[in-house]
Amino acid sequence: MLVKLEKVSKKFSHNGSGIEVLKEIDLEISEGEFVCLVGPTGCGKSTLINLIAGLEMPTSGRVLVGGVSVTGPGTDRVVVFQEAALFPWLNVRANVEFGLKMSGMPAEDRRKKSTEYLKMVHLTRFADFYPHQLSGGMKQRVAIARALAMNPKILLMDEPFAALDAQTRRLLHEELLEIWQQTRKTIFFVTHNVREATVLADKVLTISARPGRIKGGTTIRLPRPRRESDPHLIVIQQRILLSLQEEIAKVVKDEDLDYLVEKTSPVASGSGGLGNAL
Amino acid sequence: MRKLVLWLLVLAVWETLSRVSPWIPSAVGILQRVAANLTDTEILSSLGRSLLRMAVGFLGVFVLGIGTGLLLGKFRLLDEIFGTAAMALHAMPGAAWVPLAVLLFGLTQWAVIFTVLLGATGIVMVSTSAGIKEVPPLLLRAARTMGARGAKIFWHVVVPSAVPRIVDGLRLAWAFGWRALMAGELMIGSLKGMGEILSRVAKQRDLHEILAFMIIIAVVSVVIDHLLFRRMERLVKTRWGTA
Ligand SMILES: Nc1ncnc2c1ncn2[C@@H]1O[C@H](COP(=O)(O)OP(=O)(O)O)[C@@H](O)[C@H]1O
Ligand SMILES: [Mg+2]
Repeated sequence: MLVKLEKVSKKFSHNGSGIEVLKEIDLEISEGEFVCLVGPTGCGKSTLINLIAGLEMPTSGRVLVGGVSVTGPGTDRVVVFQEAALFPWLNVRANVEFGLKMSGMPAEDRRKKSTEYLKMVHLTRFADFYPHQLSGGMKQRVAIARALAMNPKILLMDEPFAALDAQTRRLLHEELLEIWQQTRKTIFFVTHNVREATVLADKVLTISARPGRIKGGTTIRLPRPRRESDPHLIVIQQRILLSLQEEIAKVVKDEDLDYLVEKTSPVASGSGGLGNAL
Repeated sequence: MRKLVLWLLVLAVWETLSRVSPWIPSAVGILQRVAANLTDTEILSSLGRSLLRMAVGFLGVFVLGIGTGLLLGKFRLLDEIFGTAAMALHAMPGAAWVPLAVLLFGLTQWAVIFTVLLGATGIVMVSTSAGIKEVPPLLLRAARTMGARGAKIFWHVVVPSAVPRIVDGLRLAWAFGWRALMAGELMIGSLKGMGEILSRVAKQRDLHEILAFMIIIAVVSVVIDHLLFRRMERLVKTRWGTA
C-alpha cells in the first residue's frame, strides 16, 4: 500500500471553538492506482490533500506514505492546486525546473528534464512564455509538468480542472490519462464533479460533510478512454450522486441553520447552555 | 496624440491671455527660455551635477531601503521595534532633513545626498516590508511541496513575489528623492546644481526665468519617471498579474 490513512481526524480551532473537518478517515491507495475522491464543497477535500502532502498535520490518527509516517512536505508527494500556483516571475521552463533547482540539480540535467516533461504536456513551444501569457488549461499543464518533474511517488490533485471550461477539461482529462498510462504514477484526484471522477478513476470514493468521513467506494472497471455519456458510466454516476445528495442536502440545511441562528442572535449567544440542557 | 493636441490648446489659450493681461507671463516666452537654457552648457553641467547627486543618493535608497525592508518584513521582532520608526521616516518631508544633513556633513555634496537618502528610503522600506508580508500563501505551499525550505523559500519565492511592491516603492522614492534633492540644493545654495540656479534666478526676480527653470526641473523628473520607472512598473505588473 503506497498511502494509508489510519483513523485520521482534523480539527481547526475557530476563536476558541473547534470544528471537526475530518473524522476518523481510513483510506488506502495502492501503487499505480488512480483514485478520485468526490464530495461537496467545504467537506474537507483540500484538507485531506494537505494532510497527505504534509502541509497540515492530523489532530489524531496517522498518515503513512510507503509505510513511513508523514511529518512534513516531501517531494515524493507533489500537489497540483486548483489555481495552478505557478510562479509569475518565472517562465514556463523555469517553473517546471523550480523543484529540481531547489534540490540542487545541475542546470544541464534540469534542462533535459524540463524538455522531457514539457513535451509530455505538449507545451514545448511555450517554454519561454510567462504564466500571464497562458490560458487556464495551459497553466494547469505547466503545473502538472512541474509536479511530474519531481518524480513523485504520488500526484495529489486538488480540483485541478474545476476552473476550466468543459471542452478544455475534457482535453485535459485525456492528456492526464495518457500521462498516467505512460508514467504509471499513482494519482489521488479530488473533485466535486461526479462525472469527472467516473471518467478518470479506477476507484471513486465519496466523502460526507461535517464531519467529513469516507462514505464508500466504487470500483470502475470500464476501459479508457471513457465517454461521460456511456450508459454504463451513467448508472455509476447516478449511484454516486444519490449517496452524495444526502450530503449536499446536509450542507444546505446547515447553512439555513446558521442563518436562523444569526437572525435570532440572543438565543444564539445562549445556545451553549441550551445544548447542555438538551 | 490626443494629449499633445490638448496641451497645444492649453498653451494657445495661455498665450492669448498673456497678450491681453500684462500680469500673465507669456507661454511662448517661457518655452523659449526653456529651450535656451537647455542648450546652455553651463546649465547642462549643473543639471548633470544634480542628476549625479540624485543617482548616488538613489543607489543608497535602493540598497538601504530594500535591505532594511527585507529585514523588517522577515523578522517580526525587528518590525515591532522599528516598524513605526519606518513609518515616521516615510512620513517626514525630505526638506526637513536638510538642517541635520548640514550639521553632519557641512555645506557639501554629502549633505544633499544624505537628504535624498533619508527623504526617500522610508517609502522603499515600508513598501518592501509590506510586499514581503503579502506573499500569496498558495505559492509558499507549492514551493514547500517541491522541497523548498527556509532561506531558499525566502530568496526564490518571498522576495520575487514582493517585487511589484518594491518597484512601486522605488518609483515613489524617485519622486520623493527629487524633491529632497531640490530642497537640499536650494537651501545649501553654494553647490552647483539646479536648486542653486533656481535660488540664484529667484534673486533676480525674473518671473519668466524662474518658471522656465521650474519647468525644466519638473520635466526632467517626469521624463526619467516615464522612461525608467513607469516602464519597469508596467512590465512587472503585467508579468506578476497585479495590474
Ligand atoms: N486553516 C484552516 N483554518 C480553519 N478552518 C479551515 C482551515 N482550512 C479549512 N478549514 C475549514 O474546513 C472546511 C473544509 O475545507 P476544505 O478542506 O477546503 O474543503 P473542500 O476542499 O472540500 O472545499 C471548511 O469549512 C473550511 O472553512
Ligand atoms: Mg478545496
